[in-house]
Amino acid sequence: MKTLKSFLFIGLLASVVVSCKDDDNDADDTRDLITEEQEVITTLTYTLTDVENNVVVFKFEDKDGPGGNNPVITGSGQLEENTVYTGSLEFLNESGEEIENVTEEIEELDEEHQVFFVSTTNNINVEYGDEDENGNPLGLVSEFTTTTAGSGRLTITLRHEPLKDAEGVKDGDITNAEGETDIEVTFDFEVQGN
Amino acid sequence: MQRGKQILKLLLILKYKAIRNIVIFFLFPLILSAQNCPFSINGNISDQGTGLPLGRATLFLEENKEGTVADDEGNFLFKNICEGQYHIVASHIGCESKEFFIEVLRDTSLNLTLKHTAHELEGVVISANSKVITNQSVETISNQTITDNASKSLGLLIESIAGVSTLKNGNSIAKPVVHGNFGNRLTILNNGVAQSGQQWGNDHSPEIDPLVANKISVIKGVSALEYMGSNLGSVVLVEPNSIDKDPHLHGKATYFFDTNGLGNGANFQLQQYGKIGWKINATAKRSGDKKTSNSFLKNTGNQELNIALQAEKEFSENWKTDLYFSSFNTKIGVFRGTQATNLTSLREILNSEQRFSEEGFSYSIDAPRQEVNHNILKIHSKNYVAENSFFDITLAGQTNSRDEFDRRFSNLRDRPVLSLLNYNLFGEVKFQKRFINNLVLKTGLQLNFISNTNQPGTSTLPLIPDYSLFQTGIFGILRKKWSKNTAEIGFRYDNSTQDVIRVSRREIRKQIIFEEDKFNNLNGSISLKRKFSEHFSGTYSLGYSSRNPGINELYSFGVHQGVASFEEGNLDLKVEEGIKTTLDFKGDINEVFTIKALGYYQRINNYIFLEPLGTVLTIRGALPNFKYNQVDAEIFGFDFSSRWNVTESFFSSLKYAFIRGTNLSQNNIGIINLPSNNLKLAIGYQFSELVTVFGKNLENLELGINGQHVFKQDNISPDQELPLNVERTEFAPIPDAYTLFGATASANLQLGKNRLRIVMKADNLFNIAYRDYLNRQRYFADDVGINVSLGVSLKF
Repeated sequence: MKTLKSFLFIGLLASVVVSCKDDDNDADDTRDLITEEQEVITTLTYTLTDVENNVVVFKFEDKDGPGGNNPVITGSGQLEENTVYTGSLEFLNESGEEIENVTEEIEELDEEHQVFFVSTTNNINVEYGDEDENGNPLGLVSEFTTTTAGSGRLTITLRHEPLKDAEGVKDGDITNAEGETDIEVTFDFEVQGN
Repeated sequence: MQRGKQILKLLLILKYKAIRNIVIFFLFPLILSAQNCPFSINGNISDQGTGLPLGRATLFLEENKEGTVADDEGNFLFKNICEGQYHIVASHIGCESKEFFIEVLRDTSLNLTLKHTAHELEGVVISANSKVITNQSVETISNQTITDNASKSLGLLIESIAGVSTLKNGNSIAKPVVHGNFGNRLTILNNGVAQSGQQWGNDHSPEIDPLVANKISVIKGVSALEYMGSNLGSVVLVEPNSIDKDPHLHGKATYFFDTNGLGNGANFQLQQYGKIGWKINATAKRSGDKKTSNSFLKNTGNQELNIALQAEKEFSENWKTDLYFSSFNTKIGVFRGTQATNLTSLREILNSEQRFSEEGFSYSIDAPRQEVNHNILKIHSKNYVAENSFFDITLAGQTNSRDEFDRRFSNLRDRPVLSLLNYNLFGEVKFQKRFINNLVLKTGLQLNFISNTNQPGTSTLPLIPDYSLFQTGIFGILRKKWSKNTAEIGFRYDNSTQDVIRVSRREIRKQIIFEEDKFNNLNGSISLKRKFSEHFSGTYSLGYSSRNPGINELYSFGVHQGVASFEEGNLDLKVEEGIKTTLDFKGDINEVFTIKALGYYQRINNYIFLEPLGTVLTIRGALPNFKYNQVDAEIFGFDFSSRWNVTESFFSSLKYAFIRGTNLSQNNIGIINLPSNNLKLAIGYQFSELVTVFGKNLENLELGINGQHVFKQDNISPDQELPLNVERTEFAPIPDAYTLFGATASANLQLGKNRLRIVMKADNLFNIAYRDYLNRQRYFADDVGINVSLGVSLKF
């Protein structure tokens, strides 16, 4: 008799379990996950403007996030030799319903971030054009100077919690910066001769 | 007459219930006396295995603080005993000492037995009084070994069994690997219920406190028919002991201290068997940054707080019910230096020496870290319906919550990147009947429900999707004994339905996709055991098992934080099928030389593994890309253990494990993540006499040294572990072979009515710098250096 009761109890439990499988509720949870603010940067735009308002744009877009479709890397405009450009960086999250400007978050937490510009050639030079709260370089604004004609590759890295006081870091040398990489993208560039 | 019978009634209740071969005699007729203490206790003590007397065994009558030594025939006598309840502690060289409870109403005679450790290979009991009755190879870690290694996790504890290794991530995260199977391929049973958590993750260790359990068994089998859960033959069983049938309040308090990581912890147990039996067991542990041979590993501390409650009641001779609840809570730091975000930083970390390790010691646990809580509630009844047949009915519920934290933007710092909640409900009815002709039938029906959901608030897309899984299983095992043979044949059938809610992969606006997977699995095994003599037996087993692809293997999609890799599940995976065969021999020569050898071969079709594919370009830079793939594979190996009692006091033991895996579909290359071959040697000396130190009499004083050699995993090349366009050999060489030495000292001390055990151990005695192939931290840092631990345990 006791055994029979135990059987019945398990049967009852099983039926409760089966009826609890409510797909809709579970799906709502997943929907919440998708719609909540994502810690994703999908788009980086590096805009260079010279005194005559000539604009050169480098853009990295990976709107579906890591994996899936390959990122789209584009460039527009022409870099001229012996020219000084003002560079500005913009970070966007374009994966959500609304486009989110992540640049503002980085500005708010500027002492925790630093952008590094590393070129494979030395016919360009990038200097910092802005500072964080502590007077250390940040890199959202930069001064981009070309010298001779030629092509190369420029890697832009955004580090989170870098050691800004480590040797060379304030001068834009990434070697001792440590911290975590939030962004690392590489663009091909070509400086045109006159 | 009636009254006389009542007076005659003598209770003898043993500390260890499973040992039933203790015979009670009533030697003398009833003598009623006016004296207060007219009685005597006489008895004989013998070896449980051989039945030979244990001469010169010591017996201690706690209540009278009186000790005696048995004669060469194992006979002993206590005189002038009053009516009352007594505890006798029996100990003998080479045996685990044991406490017996008796109630004296008259002159009493006892036959006591102790288990001789000749059966044991350095704490691993080969033929234990385990509840597991199977032809398949079972090895058990005893309660004393667990207590002696109080600071060790489950994985590190069972590593002492030949053929068992651990897949580690640092020193605090260790997953058991049995015959090369781990994670999705290995079922871990927590008190009879398949542990339900996030075992898919290579960096997720089982959420079980070995101190809360008292016994750990590993079935190195061909097909685990009796247990639900995905596995390819091998099972780890973690069980608490049943409650000692002693009406007095007893307990055990254990404290340990580790020099490496300045770890310490305590375990406290209390139990009593009145109308109901109950036991409470609690553990608290804390450790800070571990140290390699020369520097601290930043953020490698861990904390644990666990509690377990056990209760049992015998409603009648035929009906016993027990209840078990345990809660496991841990916070584990992951070595900060392993946190890479892309190939560039991975390369940087790998090329720099011991990043983040130069800083000093700290107890603080920062990101990256894991916070895990696991609860289990189980009610179990055993009902005898006839003398030889009974039902086992189990109902259990589990919850498992896991939060993983990484280093993130400040405003997200307190949010986990991965937050999973797992619910499990399990019900089981098992029936066992023993027929007259030594035929035993065991059969059962099992129902299992798992719901696993990602918790909102992480600001990340889930790495594995939400899913619910409903499984129904039945099994039947027939076991027949005749003359010197035992044959076993069995089958198992499972039906599973898995509902998955996943996120689309390529759309910018992510969509929800529903998937339904249905699986049918049929498993079976046969085995034959033959006892060639009292001291020598052999078993042959053959089994077929199948395993459904795990949730991560099918659906994972995303960046696996910390290890800088992009992981992609494969929707086309089919069921993995394994055929395994084992042949084992065990025996001893006069209990002086004990040996156990096991050879196994497993052919796995559709073997699922994570294959490096190349790199995937993301805005965070290039990441190594891994995708689940399926190949045909074979794994074979050989486990050997032996112990030689050179003299009564001096013993040595040797263990060797060999394993090799081959990927038959891809030019017979090796299989990654299989353990290295290893050799373990130990010698020890146990003093047969009491040793007096500072005026205290130390019993069972044992001193030992041990060595371990781990061979280089030369069956694979580094190319197999990282994508082709990543400079592999440069930063991920297969670690070299290494040899470690250790030392141990242990002794027991009687303090009034209480018994104290002291254990000192040193691991990696010479502070060698080494890296282990199966430790994922090996890419970034050396393994831990010297550790000296001290453990004291007081039984009261």
